[in-house]
Amino acid sequence: MANITILAGGFGSGKSEIALNFALEKVKRQTEHSKVILADLDLVNPFFASREAKKQLEDKGVRLLGPRADLAFGDVPQLPPEIIGIIGQDNDMIIDLAGDEVGSLVLGYLSSFIKIRNQLDFFMVINPYRPFACDLESVVYLKNMLEAASKTHITGIISNPNLVEETDAQIILEGHTRVLKYADAMGIPVKYLTVEEKFYEQFLFQYGNQLKLINLYLRPGWLKVL
Amino acid sequence: MKGNEALAEGAIIAGCRGFFGYPITPSSEIAEYMARKLPGLGGVFFQAESELAAINMVYGGSSTGKRVMTASSGPGISLKQEGISFIAEAELPCLIVNVSRGGPGLGGIQPSQADYFQATRGGGHGDYRLIVLAPSGAQEMMDYTIEAFDLADRYRTPVMIMAEGTLGNIMEPIIVRKPEEKSYDKSWAITGCKGRKPNIINTLHLSSEVLEERNRHLAAKYKLIEQNEKRAETFLTEDADIIVVAFGLMARIVKKSVMEARKKGIKAGLIRPITLWPFPDEHFKKAAETVRLILSVEINMGQMIEDIRLSVNGKVPVEFYGRIGFTPNPEEITKQLLLLAEREGF
Repeated sequence: MANITILAGGFGSGKSEIALNFALEKVKRQTEHSKVILADLDLVNPFFASREAKKQLEDKGVRLLGPRADLAFGDVPQLPPEIIGIIGQDNDMIIDLAGDEVGSLVLGYLSSFIKIRNQLDFFMVINPYRPFACDLESVVYLKNMLEAASKTHITGIISNPNLVEETDAQIILEGHTRVLKYADAMGIPVKYLTVEEKFYEQFLFQYGNQLKLINLYLRPGWLKVL
Repeated sequence: MKGNEALAEGAIIAGCRGFFGYPITPSSEIAEYMARKLPGLGGVFFQAESELAAINMVYGGSSTGKRVMTASSGPGISLKQEGISFIAEAELPCLIVNVSRGGPGLGGIQPSQADYFQATRGGGHGDYRLIVLAPSGAQEMMDYTIEAFDLADRYRTPVMIMAEGTLGNIMEPIIVRKPEEKSYDKSWAITGCKGRKPNIINTLHLSSEVLEERNRHLAAKYKLIEQNEKRAETFLTEDADIIVVAFGLMARIVKKSVMEARKKGIKAGLIRPITLWPFPDEHFKKAAETVRLILSVEINMGQMIEDIRLSVNGKVPVEFYGRIGFTPNPEEITKQLLLLAEREGF
């Protein structure tokens, strides 16, 4: 118990979808007295934030911690006041930060309180098909900015190579190869490769524990119609 | 790419090297993208002290004949109206982007299409029009932006891209197409007058004759744009009893409802205006000959419906469904279609 998993990364790298999946996976393994908490600390941009899946989370027993309801769709940065107390309690916590270094600033403030936790995983999510993750220089720049803003060292990388509906196995493999190169150059381990359900089986043999299945909870169904 | 990023990259592809703006949700990613990219391309990114300053920088920048733009959201676009009126009268090509949010007043940052009147009726003072393009996905955010700069140069007029918050933030794969190089006569531009007569850009006309002549000139230009540039997408309209009209993101959602309604035996179709001005009235005149009912679906309290009614000129009843603060979902619109079909008996 008292683990904390924090997701940071570039704007639109997939942090919120991954945070939702992590929370819903953790809650499945929940024992009677454990608690899974997802803190949506996206104080920058409320579009497609993990708090949109509030109902799905709460139905499954995940406690969502985020801006209060009347400010959930605001551009007024609002940090849930109870967050520091909850960080100090015994629970399983996932923090979903906003994109880029501005999104990780809030962790800079929380970093001294987080030290109390037994285990801290601070992941940088990378989708190498995003505009500012296409080359090593940009990724290293972002990594340094994230660490400076959050006052926390990144402990692992989550490789999230996708072009949403146009993703195929080749796109995943080529993208993941690039993420491995970035990770190698930065000396940070790749902890997970995230794929949608339809690709899970075919990559499982090769990637084993590293592979994480991701369901998209925030993507509107009508998107496929154009 | 996110819609806002695709739009910004489209502007760069089109050769835009000047961005002047003041950030506002949900348009800020456009400014952020330009701030990161333009300096390295020899361009200028300037975060002005206010929207008023920003639009007047666009006025100045476009006077030099360079491709420049600004982006904002409802309240910011309201502040820019005076400058837009000046730019329209000075016949300066530029791009103005409205990634709109809920109004009136400060409203909220929820997706909204409530700036339709502001975009299509001028917004600022005087007898002028903006060409208004309404993309419906991230790819079109890029493609229409590239096209908007061409339209602006071709007609020497400001062009507006009208998007809304969700469209700005939607993540979709993009195919980057390099546009063909076009050249435009920019002998009017202020580029330093050594060896030639100075060019003067001015919008003050104290003589009645000159004022009227200027207005007639602009009106003739707008007429030409109306003749050449009206555009709409039609979907399953040929045999339709009921046609839903929606623009931008909303059109995409409606498409799904139209397909659902068809499965339930209702002959539904969609007309999606791509140019909000000039409004594609011919599509509606044609539809009015066969269709039994038109339903306008908007993320506002009923604005485009006025243009639809003007277009069909009383030949077909036009009804409305809209929300604000929420984006109607496909099921909601399908339900409306079922209710209307039952009421009308088709």
